[in-house]
Amino acid sequence: MDAKTIALEKIRKTVTENPIVLYMKGTPQFPQCGFSGRAAQVLKACGVDRYVAVNVLADQEVFDNLRFYADFPTFPQLYINGELIGGSDIMVGLYEQGELQKLIETATAH
Amino acid sequence: MKVTPEMVKNYIQQGLDCEHIHVDGDGRHFEAVIVSKEFAGLGMLKQHQLVYKVLGDRMGPIHALSMKTLTPEQWANQA
Repeated sequence: MDAKTIALEKIRKTVTENPIVLYMKGTPQFPQCGFSGRAAQVLKACGVDRYVAVNVLADQEVFDNLRFYADFPTFPQLYINGELIGGSDIMVGLYEQGELQKLIETATAH
Repeated sequence: MKVTPEMVKNYIQQGLDCEHIHVDGDGRHFEAVIVSKEFAGLGMLKQHQLVYKVLGDRMGPIHALSMKTLTPEQWANQA
């Protein structure tokens, strides 16, 4: 397997084994980019305190290949139950419509 | 080569039938308002993916593109 295949498999595993995954630059506490910071803030505003945040600056394979996973070339990217929800614009848009809260509620209900 | 908002606008217009488009930016971070009938029936994610697809490899030097995507109907209702 080449590096791209391995990276895509790793991403698939992460997003399917965790209900909420945010790929971002930096960490929710110390975001390294305004858009990533905004994405983390939106999750916080939705009352999400437990999710997997992947710092793409600390993982070169994921940084290089995430754009191929769901045809979305920028960071951050939010995944709920293995599906790409979108980047920070879409997160803010869905949050303002009250839709993101619903998606998260469904994903975290057990 | 530095990417200008005008270039981003042209790239998008070449691949997408736009009723209205406005792009601002500093060479790395861009903001775009794009109105196209091709967005009709698509969710926000699919609309953004469509724009990214049109931009293709040109996204390389573009660090971030913040987008507001609207159908002509949504654009008319907003104005």
